[in-house]
Amino acid sequence: MKRQIWELLLALLAGLGLGLLYSWVISPVRYVDTTPNTLRADFKDQMRAAIAAAYATTGNLERARARLSLLGDADSIQALSAQAQQMLAAGDSGQSMQQIAQLASDLGQPQVAAIPTNTLVPTATSISIATSSSSNLTTATLVSTGTAGTSTPEQQATSTPNIFASPTARPTRTPTAAPGAPFELVSQDTVCDPNVQEGLLEVVLMDSRRRQIPGIEIVVTWDGGEDHFFTGFKPELGDGYGDYVMQTGIVYSVLVANEGTPVSNISAPSCNGDNGTFTGAIKLTFQQP
Amino acid sequence: MQRWLRFLLVLLIGIAIGLVYGWVISPVQYIDTTPDTLRADYRADYVLMVAEAYQTEQNPDLAAHRLAILGSQSPGEITSQALGLAKQFGYADSDIFLMQKLTTAMQAWQPSTNGTSP
Repeated sequence: MKRQIWELLLALLAGLGLGLLYSWVISPVRYVDTTPNTLRADFKDQMRAAIAAAYATTGNLERARARLSLLGDADSIQALSAQAQQMLAAGDSGQSMQQIAQLASDLGQPQVAAIPTNTLVPTATSISIATSSSSNLTTATLVSTGTAGTSTPEQQATSTPNIFASPTARPTRTPTAAPGAPFELVSQDTVCDPNVQEGLLEVVLMDSRRRQIPGIEIVVTWDGGEDHFFTGFKPELGDGYGDYVMQTGIVYSVLVANEGTPVSNISAPSCNGDNGTFTGAIKLTFQQP
Repeated sequence: MQRWLRFLLVLLIGIAIGLVYGWVISPVQYIDTTPDTLRADYRADYVLMVAEAYQTEQNPDLAAHRLAILGSQSPGEITSQALGLAKQFGYADSDIFLMQKLTTAMQAWQPSTNGTSP
C-alpha cells in the first residue's frame, strides 16, 4: 500500500514535470499580437517620439492622446516631459526633443474647440471606424478580447449601415513662435521673495497676443561659459516659463531663440529681508512684436 | 496491469496540471516586447505616424530609420503591408493618401552611407 502511494506520487510529479517542460520550454505561450503597453522602455520612447512628430504635422491632439494612452503610462504628460528632459540632458536638443516638449505642453492645455473628424486609432478594447462613400455607409469594427497573456486577440469586421461618424475633438493648437519674429524684452523685475530659490533666473515668453510659448531655447552666456534651457518644462508655472539658477557674482547675458539682441548685465540681485540680506531672483518677460 | 493503468492515469493528471499551470496560471511573461511583435493594427498605425511626420519632414532617411523598429523587412515592404491593412481597416482617405506617399518614397529609398539620427 505504501509503495503504491509512492508510485502514484512519482507518477504525478513526473507528469507535472513533463507538463511544465512542454508548456514552458517546448511550446511556451507565444505573443505575436502584442499591444504597445508591453513594449520595452526604449521602444516606448521611440513610439512617443513618433507620436510627437506626427502631432507636429497634424495638430490632432486627440489622436496623439489616444496613441499615448496605448503605451500604458500612468501620466502621459509626465512621461513625455521626462523623456524630453532626458534627451536634453543627453545633449539632444534637436527637433524631436522640441516636438515631444510641445506635445507635453499641449496635452496640459484645456480643450477649447471640437470639430468632428473621422479618426482611426487602434485601442486595446475596440475600434469603430465610420467611413462614408457616395453609395453606401459602412462601419468596420475591430474587437480585441482580453489582454496579452490571457487570451488571443481577435478581429471582427462587420459591414453594417451607420449614419454617424465618430466625432473626434480637434483642439485649438497651442501657439508656436512665428518664425522671423525675434522676442523683445518687455519687463525685467527683481524678485525679492525668500520662498523663491536664490539666484533664480525666470524667463517668460509670449507671442504678440500675449499667449505663452513653450519649447523655445534660451541661451545663457557668461564670461567663459554658456548654458541653455527651454520653456515649457514646468507647465504648472506657465507654458512659456523656463528658469535657470545663476551663481552669485557672475554677470550673464540672455538670448532667446538664438536671435535678436541678448539681454546683458543680468546677475543675481541682493535683497533685504527680515533676517538680513539674501540673494533674490530675476524675472525677464519677452514678447514677440 | 491495473497498476500500470493507474500509474498512467496519474501521470496524465500530472501533465494536465503542469500544462494548466504553465499556460494559464503562470505563463511565460513577455513584458519587454519589440515592435515587430505588435498586432497588425498597431503596426499600421505606427506606419501612419511615420507617414504623418514624413509629410512635413520630407526626410526619407529618418522615415526609414523610424520604420526599422518594425522588423527586418525593407521599409518599402513594411509600408506596403501597412497600406494594405489600412485599406482593410477602413482608414480615412487622407490617411491612406499619406501612407501611399510614404510607400512610394520608401520603395524608391536607398540606404545612405551617412546614416541618420531620429
